[in-house]
Amino acid sequence: MLEFIEFGKTWMPFLLEGVGVTLGLWVVAMVLGFCLALLLVWGRVYAAKPIYLFATAYVEVFRGTPMLVQLFFIYLGLPEIGIVLAPFTAAAVAIGLNTAAYQAEYFRGAIQSLPAGQMVAARAMGMSRFQALRDIILPQAGRRVIPQWSNEAIVELKYTSIAYAIGLTELTARAEQVGYQTFQFLEAFTLVAIIYLVLTGIVAQSLDFLERKTRIPGLTYTGGKME
Amino acid sequence: MSDNPILSVRDVRKTYGGVEVLKGVSFDLERGQSKIVIGPSGTGKSTLLRCINLLSPPDSGNVVLDGVTVEERGINQIRAQIGFVFQEFNLFTHLRVLDNVRLAQRNVLGRSKQEATRRAMEELERVGLSDKLEAYPAELSGGQKQRASIARALAMDPKLILFDEPTSALDPELTGEVVQVMKDLANAGMTMLVVSHEMGFARAAADEVIFMEGGVIVEQGPPSTLFTCPEHARTSQFLRMISHEHQEA
Amino acid sequence: MVFDTLVAEFPFLLRGLWIGIQLLAALLALGFVLGITLAVMSVYGHWSLRLFAVVFERIFRGIPEIVLLLLFFYGIGELLPLSPFVAAVLALGLRSTAYQAQIFRGSIQSVAGGEVMAARALGMSRLGAIWHIVLPQALRRSIGPWTNEYSAELKATSLAYVIGVVELTRQASYIVSNLQGNTLTVFAVVAAMYFVVNRLGNAGLYALERRLTIPGFEGRGAES
Repeated sequence: MLEFIEFGKTWMPFLLEGVGVTLGLWVVAMVLGFCLALLLVWGRVYAAKPIYLFATAYVEVFRGTPMLVQLFFIYLGLPEIGIVLAPFTAAAVAIGLNTAAYQAEYFRGAIQSLPAGQMVAARAMGMSRFQALRDIILPQAGRRVIPQWSNEAIVELKYTSIAYAIGLTELTARAEQVGYQTFQFLEAFTLVAIIYLVLTGIVAQSLDFLERKTRIPGLTYTGGKME
Repeated sequence: MSDNPILSVRDVRKTYGGVEVLKGVSFDLERGQSKIVIGPSGTGKSTLLRCINLLSPPDSGNVVLDGVTVEERGINQIRAQIGFVFQEFNLFTHLRVLDNVRLAQRNVLGRSKQEATRRAMEELERVGLSDKLEAYPAELSGGQKQRASIARALAMDPKLILFDEPTSALDPELTGEVVQVMKDLANAGMTMLVVSHEMGFARAAADEVIFMEGGVIVEQGPPSTLFTCPEHARTSQFLRMISHEHQEA
Repeated sequence: MVFDTLVAEFPFLLRGLWIGIQLLAALLALGFVLGITLAVMSVYGHWSLRLFAVVFERIFRGIPEIVLLLLFFYGIGELLPLSPFVAAVLALGLRSTAYQAQIFRGSIQSVAGGEVMAARALGMSRLGAIWHIVLPQALRRSIGPWTNEYSAELKATSLAYVIGVVELTRQASYIVSNLQGNTLTVFAVVAAMYFVVNRLGNAGLYALERRLTIPGFEGRGAES
């Protein structure tokens, strides 16, 4: 145990340098995914048939195949048609495209769980469709989707470790480097596991706080179905 | 009282979350007798039933079933001898009616499949559900569910059956069929302890009425006496109140 | 030309897929057995068991799959050498245990308490009531959420790539590095294979759910 603490003291600073890359990758991917998800959900809920079909196919494909394969497709495959991405960019795009599909599904669920009367009432008062979306539908759906969105954010935080597979020196890759330098793989990966646990714990707590701050009576999430 | 009651409850006390729900309850039940327990809600009537088969064990006092003290040791074999009919039926949702009645016969009494089936069919016929053997609980009406749960209790050949407000969860028009089954049982000599406000059952089939309030038995006696000239003012007040409710309903 | 390559290489992909499916079956089975045990213990057991379940789930849900895979293969491997396949079954299986325990706990808690009481009142033992009354109902209700877990773990098998399990994704990467080209096509085909297996599994589980549906259970287990 003492040895492990000693090991931690020695290598923790080196590992923590990787936290910046991990968090940076996570934020870029989540923002990219969020923007794309808004487009997708518009496509699936409000747009014309061809766009609806495209958005649906997108969501199905990205949810139905492994992220690692998507990452290899982008990082190893796209250079064949002249698109060469750096590991960080490739990972951010892959995770972003993937999370967009999941986020879109959560948003769609939240929007479709709202009573149809909300939109009808807004239109009846003379609001445009866009105004109704912006001022009535999104503020409600947004609140309802927070728990699922939080869960997705934490899933993707863990999934940033996938960039290890294409040689990005993020947290997991640094742990492996420590392992090879010391030949103490158990300690190295245990240390990095603890860092991930702390990171996901902090994110979970913060998002839970956000959910409680924005809560309004009547708009609570009850697991799967919204009330 | 005879020397050998089938059930003897002595000074049973039970406290829930700092509130003493039963403050020392004692009574006997003779073989073949049916007693009905009435009283305002929250006076520990249901708790009393659950103390008898240790679904919620009493804090003190004792319960003797047919000469054997009811205790945690070997409780499952004792419970098998005490039928229990719940307000909410509690039929097993995933089992057809026939299997609801067969399961404990096989699992607890170790009966063969044929024997369990035979007993199940007999009891289901007695409660008028011979045509519902293959139905799932969700396909039954409330009254049918309660009759099935009575058959489930009967098939275990219990020494007595406890009924915990068996008609309270039913629509008024469905209580009649359940009360009829209970009356038939009482007349056939089944030993029964019934918590209910079903006055029809009390008048027609109960040998004795126990009036409970505030965790104690206030008075008990044959329905003819207790209903017409109760000794205690609280009893007559309560009787007036429920007869009033019944007129409204 | 692309077509010829694919025809030539397809048997390797199928072999990789078969390894991936074996990995999937093994890790789901491990997660199923341990997950149910953990769920039953945490619902009906002593508070210390409940605490153990919570800590176990927190840990295995909070650590990335890849880190778990590396931890088991290289880390635990220091003490007890494991083949890549076994390390992957343990790492992903224990993680799946955490998720499956949560699914089963939810469905166990959704079984009406009154039915357990009725079983006990008939003289059935606690274990008998859990076995005959709770689990048959809870398992029916778990199929819907379990379908999601199936999909998630199918995709997670691709991560066993990082510790050298020669499953579908690693076969694909071998093919790509041998061929020096056709990367997009190979990975597109691989993605399609995962997609099909995912769909087939979902369809199978959905059929199972419908087959086991009985009155009183309609749609309750299924995810909305």
